[in-house]
Amino acid sequence: MSAFRNWRAARPFWGGLLLALGGAEILFTEQASLKVVMHIGMQGLAGYLLPAVMLICGLLVLFNPAQRLFYSVCGVLASLGTWLTSNLGGFLVGLLLGVVGSCLAFGWLPDQEPRRGLLGRRRARAPVRTP
Amino acid sequence: MASSSDATPSAGSTPEPSGTPESVSGPDGPDRPEGPARRGRVRARRAAVMAVPATLVAAGLMILTAQGALGVQFAISGMPFTVTATNLDGQGFEQFGALDRMAEGSPNEGDTGGQVLVVVSAIRNATLTKLCQSVDLGGTNLLITAGQGEQKVTATNLTTDSTELSGDAAFDNIEIGNDASTLDKAGVQGPKGVFSQQADTVRIAHLRQTNYATTAAVFKLPGLKLRFSDQGC
Repeated sequence: MSAFRNWRAARPFWGGLLLALGGAEILFTEQASLKVVMHIGMQGLAGYLLPAVMLICGLLVLFNPAQRLFYSVCGVLASLGTWLTSNLGGFLVGLLLGVVGSCLAFGWLPDQEPRRGLLGRRRARAPVRTP
Repeated sequence: MASSSDATPSAGSTPEPSGTPESVSGPDGPDRPEGPARRGRVRARRAAVMAVPATLVAAGLMILTAQGALGVQFAISGMPFTVTATNLDGQGFEQFGALDRMAEGSPNEGDTGGQVLVVVSAIRNATLTKLCQSVDLGGTNLLITAGQGEQKVTATNLTTDSTELSGDAAFDNIEIGNDASTLDKAGVQGPKGVFSQQADTVRIAHLRQTNYATTAAVFKLPGLKLRFSDQGC
């Protein structure tokens, strides 16, 4: 359990998980048979392609967190694209999950620097806020 | 904002005396007081760098879609759903029977063996007035309406697999009894040896369909509303 906690602490866990879940949700909402997709051509394929990209980006954020900026940018673009290609982004749910997950992954930083500047600013502001 | 090289976690971009972990976790991590190892965190302002433009783009997409300026593609099936429209105008119409298979072991199979006999209707260019689509999710309905105002819903290469279709229909240049594999008005062919019909144009008033699959279709949905409702269409 503590091994899992440490593993989770070393990567943008929620960001990657939400992004992957969003992709999976969109994939579940569309169940057109492959034969029909062939009829439609490229547009039908894109409906599957973009959520697949989301799913893969989410997993890569989890398993290769060093490249999270690139994956999260790809993930957010794919998430936004699914609004057009895949049932309004899995009826909005998958799109929201994907965008929120990407933003969390993008904003995540490993806890390495003490952030003196931010602390100092917070301390300077604190007396003003408290009364 | 610390936007510099953070690709290597814990590489010590700010070399700091080793005593800091405990002293820092006090003021800045009240939500996670325990935890021997220091944890990565989401920095709000860093996340906002992406969240703000992403929200703007998402809002823009939705507004453009609601105004009908942007086409949206649908490809759903698996559960039957209802589509209604007060009026449908189409150019290039085909209709033929077909057998749809559900996924292996689908819970919706019942005693049908997983097969549903459907009527496939294909329309190359369709214009619909007051479109309404509802899916029964058990207890509540997911309701999508569009085209209530002046602008109408348009769709290209619309294909629907229906089990029921009703309305007042009028056709131009209709051919009834073709083999389904020889159809050419809407660009979709059915299996050989199956009854079919096709027409140059179709007009259906008070359209009501029970569909198992709507595919293809770049839909333009002016006045889109998506909501949950107790009542279907």
